[in-house]
Amino acid sequence: MASDLARRTEEPQAPRVFRPTTKSPLGPVKIASAVSAVAPLLALLAILGILVGQALPAVKYNGLGFFVHNVWHPGNFYLQPVTTNGVLHPAQAEYGAWAIIVGTVLSSLIALVIALPTSLGAALVVSKLLGPRVRSALGVFLELLAGIPSVVFGLWGTLTIGPLLSRDIYPIVAKHMPDVFILRWFRGSTGAGEGLLTSGIILAAMIIPIIASTSRDLFTQVPKLTEEGAEALGMTRMEVTTKVTMPWVSAGIIGATVLGLARALGETMAVAMVSGSVLGTLPTNIYSTFNTIAATIVTTLDSALIDGTGLAVRTLAEAALALMVVTLLANVGARLLVRKVSTTALPVGRGV
Amino acid sequence: MKNNYLGKETHGMAPKRPLLAAGLMGVAGLAASACGSSSSATTTSSTTATTAASATTQANAAPNYAATETPPTANVALQETGSTLLYPLFNLWAPDYHTQYSNISITTAGTGSGTGIADAASGTVDIGASDAYLSPTQTGQTPTLINIPLAISAQEIVVHIPGVTQQLHLTGQVISDIYQGKIKYWNDPAITALNSGVNLPHLAIAPLHRSDSSGDTFLFTQYLSKADPNGWGSANGPQFGTTVAFPAVPTALAEQGNGGMVTGCAQTAGCIAYVGVSYASQASKAGLTLAAISNQAGQFLVPTAAGIQAEAKNFIGQVPANEAISLIYGPGATSYPIINFEYAIVNTKQSDPNKAQAIKAFLTWAIDPAHGNATSYVSQVNFQPLPTSVATLSLAQIAKIGG
Amino acid sequence: MARNQEALTRIRVRTRRRKAASTVAISMGVIALALVTVPSVWIVAQVAWKALPHMSWSVITTPGVGLGGGLENEIVGTLMITFGVAVVAGFIGVMSGIYLSQFARGRAAGLLRGASEVLAGIPSIVVGYVGYISMVVTFHWGFSLGAGLITLSAMVVPYIAKTTEVSLGQVPSSYVEGAEALGLKPGQILRTISLRSALPGIATGLIVALAIAVGETAPLLYTAGYSQNLPHVALTHSPLGYLTYAVWTFYNEPSTRAVQLSFDAAFLLIVLVLALIAASRIIVARASRHRETA
Repeated sequence: MASDLARRTEEPQAPRVFRPTTKSPLGPVKIASAVSAVAPLLALLAILGILVGQALPAVKYNGLGFFVHNVWHPGNFYLQPVTTNGVLHPAQAEYGAWAIIVGTVLSSLIALVIALPTSLGAALVVSKLLGPRVRSALGVFLELLAGIPSVVFGLWGTLTIGPLLSRDIYPIVAKHMPDVFILRWFRGSTGAGEGLLTSGIILAAMIIPIIASTSRDLFTQVPKLTEEGAEALGMTRMEVTTKVTMPWVSAGIIGATVLGLARALGETMAVAMVSGSVLGTLPTNIYSTFNTIAATIVTTLDSALIDGTGLAVRTLAEAALALMVVTLLANVGARLLVRKVSTTALPVGRGV
Repeated sequence: MKNNYLGKETHGMAPKRPLLAAGLMGVAGLAASACGSSSSATTTSSTTATTAASATTQANAAPNYAATETPPTANVALQETGSTLLYPLFNLWAPDYHTQYSNISITTAGTGSGTGIADAASGTVDIGASDAYLSPTQTGQTPTLINIPLAISAQEIVVHIPGVTQQLHLTGQVISDIYQGKIKYWNDPAITALNSGVNLPHLAIAPLHRSDSSGDTFLFTQYLSKADPNGWGSANGPQFGTTVAFPAVPTALAEQGNGGMVTGCAQTAGCIAYVGVSYASQASKAGLTLAAISNQAGQFLVPTAAGIQAEAKNFIGQVPANEAISLIYGPGATSYPIINFEYAIVNTKQSDPNKAQAIKAFLTWAIDPAHGNATSYVSQVNFQPLPTSVATLSLAQIAKIGG
Repeated sequence: MARNQEALTRIRVRTRRRKAASTVAISMGVIALALVTVPSVWIVAQVAWKALPHMSWSVITTPGVGLGGGLENEIVGTLMITFGVAVVAGFIGVMSGIYLSQFARGRAAGLLRGASEVLAGIPSIVVGYVGYISMVVTFHWGFSLGAGLITLSAMVVPYIAKTTEVSLGQVPSSYVEGAEALGLKPGQILRTISLRSALPGIATGLIVALAIAVGETAPLLYTAGYSQNLPHVALTHSPLGYLTYAVWTFYNEPSTRAVQLSFDAAFLLIVLVLALIAASRIIVARASRHRETA
């Protein structure tokens, strides 16, 4: 399975092939392949460069307050545009991404809270209790889950599971949840199925493949001898897991979790379909409609084009840049962490 | 000018109702389905036929469509993107135009007004479609960009309150307060006072707005700004635009496109939404109830042929040469307050003379009541044909397209 | 052992509780396993349930008309985009993988590898935004096949490069050494030995990358655009439809036919993705059987 190919082996430690010492007929292949290998780096730099270039005027106009204020007002296009700080913009334009930052973080955290224990539980059961045949069967489900297009998740979320939850589950939860600390968030109006919790559930299903497949591979790598030794010492299965297996692979799991988080933060279509899409509104409970950075870009880029001064489009670049920096840090951090401590490489891309 | 419309009738494209036939002056027959569907013709339309018939007609000479209606002989491929509201009409026009002139092909795409305007400005496409006229931010960036009205559209307000089937009366002020979160429940005294005899439940109101940039949002917020000048329209209010900062209301929902508004409202008990009339039949099929809204004279109206004609009449004499004008909230007891022009956005500066000629020819064909503006086309999407005086102005703008 | 009798007693007392806790933990694990498998089955079943009753040939053989018609334009568009990605991303990805496994050394290799992996982690809408600003607007390509497939390629090249590199790295060194001993030139070794035995792995990576490309929406919305006409074979200035767009625009329309088309498109997407995954699994299974017998 491709996933296993990609994951199970770290980069080849030593070149196992040949070392062309002299000028060989391999020249053209080497040049073409070198150019190709540089392409992703160039693409990465181009994306960063274009984003920074686009975002710069918006950064200048919106200021640092962009990240802490909660307002999304493209301005009045039907008044004469104004110049502030050398940036031409529609009159009264004011942008603050606080609400979509909060929405992005909260929906991803909800997804993690659901996906992490589920993935770990499933991976443990499969790798420790069941045979290799079942393990590969789980692989089929995970691959399928990772392969289902984002819009299809959204379709399922908005037409099936969202309405179902909001009709049969949410009202019961909201009614019986005690009015204390964090549980207070589960009380109140439960809406029509589009909102934070529904998005978190959909996102969880989307990041489970990344966390589950990586942890399954990690668990199978823990030396049998160590675990059997612990069991021989009288530990129960759960104790072996919490005291021996988990510590052994914890860094890898943290890495996979961070990678899953990065994916949830950047997920676009499914969230755009189940978030409720409201802008500039902070959620009041866990069922509230909201919006994320990625979903805001996809649903409002078209609208932003109406702004002839370009500020709206550039503001979206600023938001995209912020999102990209966060996901990049998460990605790089996760990979470095895992590379240091484990022989299992993290999956590339969607983690199929 | 009447001859154009009469000529059209003899071609078998007569409006389906006598009411509309009587209204054939500046504005010819409204979409048959808008007036025939659901309850839309119930409120105040009965008196309007005579009002409309006595309206002044424009004294302009008949517009000279023939001058720019000949396409080039070369093969030209035109691209259109933009408004999803105009998209269905372009989809009716494009194949028929290609049938008539096989050397001209037109690709259409409903991408949203924003993309339409931006692509027309950048030259990525030849024709952009927009529900809103160009703003100074756009014409400032691209002075050669023009907006050409192609037809008249209107907007309706719908509500979804389980158990209530009567037509609600809502003032612009009340709707403004609802969208600002000041009125939270359907049995608020401000609403019950307008609707004696209707048993309104204590149900939270969910105001829906568009998440995408939309001519409908433009029209709706302009109506609120004019009907509530000290609140919505004040310097500190949300004011109007294709995208505005809707006040934070916990029950608010944003939806993509007119379709999203209809399905979203149908799914949400307690909702209120604004929808283009081209979605009138879908809205009533989805179980949404049309609300009668107050006009400047304080009358409660739903969109009808006569109401739209009366409203259009208020403004037709004032349409400026660049045709950027709001048709919202005019005077007159019978004027439905939310109507608008549907625009084609074109860059007058075209590098290819053949393409310029093709754009001119196609747009002329589109506004010609003998062709694209015939009721057989516009009624399918519930639009109104252009008044003759506006068509004359549009022709003058079309003539500017060139090198 | 008996040194601490007291402790031993305490442990005995706790044993039952510990065993019970373990059982609870195991059953929660089983529930978790169910939770992992349920969504994929549910989604596939739901989409099939909603799509199959009104699925017909006409859906596949007629292009869209307004909110009705069929999905022919989207199907052809998806196939064209996927084919384009296979060519562009396939070439760059495989070549990149060859370079990383055969030639790259030290820090430069680490940098290229890292850049590639990080590229794969960029949110798809960000890549789409950049594709729109650069190719559609600045290069004046307009909404087009070219802009769409280059944007998508940027997203899947890292995946293909990684699988290629790993597959080449897994070629037994004995094969290569044997070939060297026989006096084969490096180019011949790469072509006839390394690439050949790594082929199943490379093909699998490519197929899975295509499955990802088939299912993407956000990078295409503002690069490939949309059209209800059958796509032209042109790289620029010609927008085209694709299946994910149909799901995204039709699901929310107040028209039964439009919602049906949305589910039809979702169903076709799932069938395509399943077919690609199945193909990759068959290749892997065959290759490993071949390797075992060889």
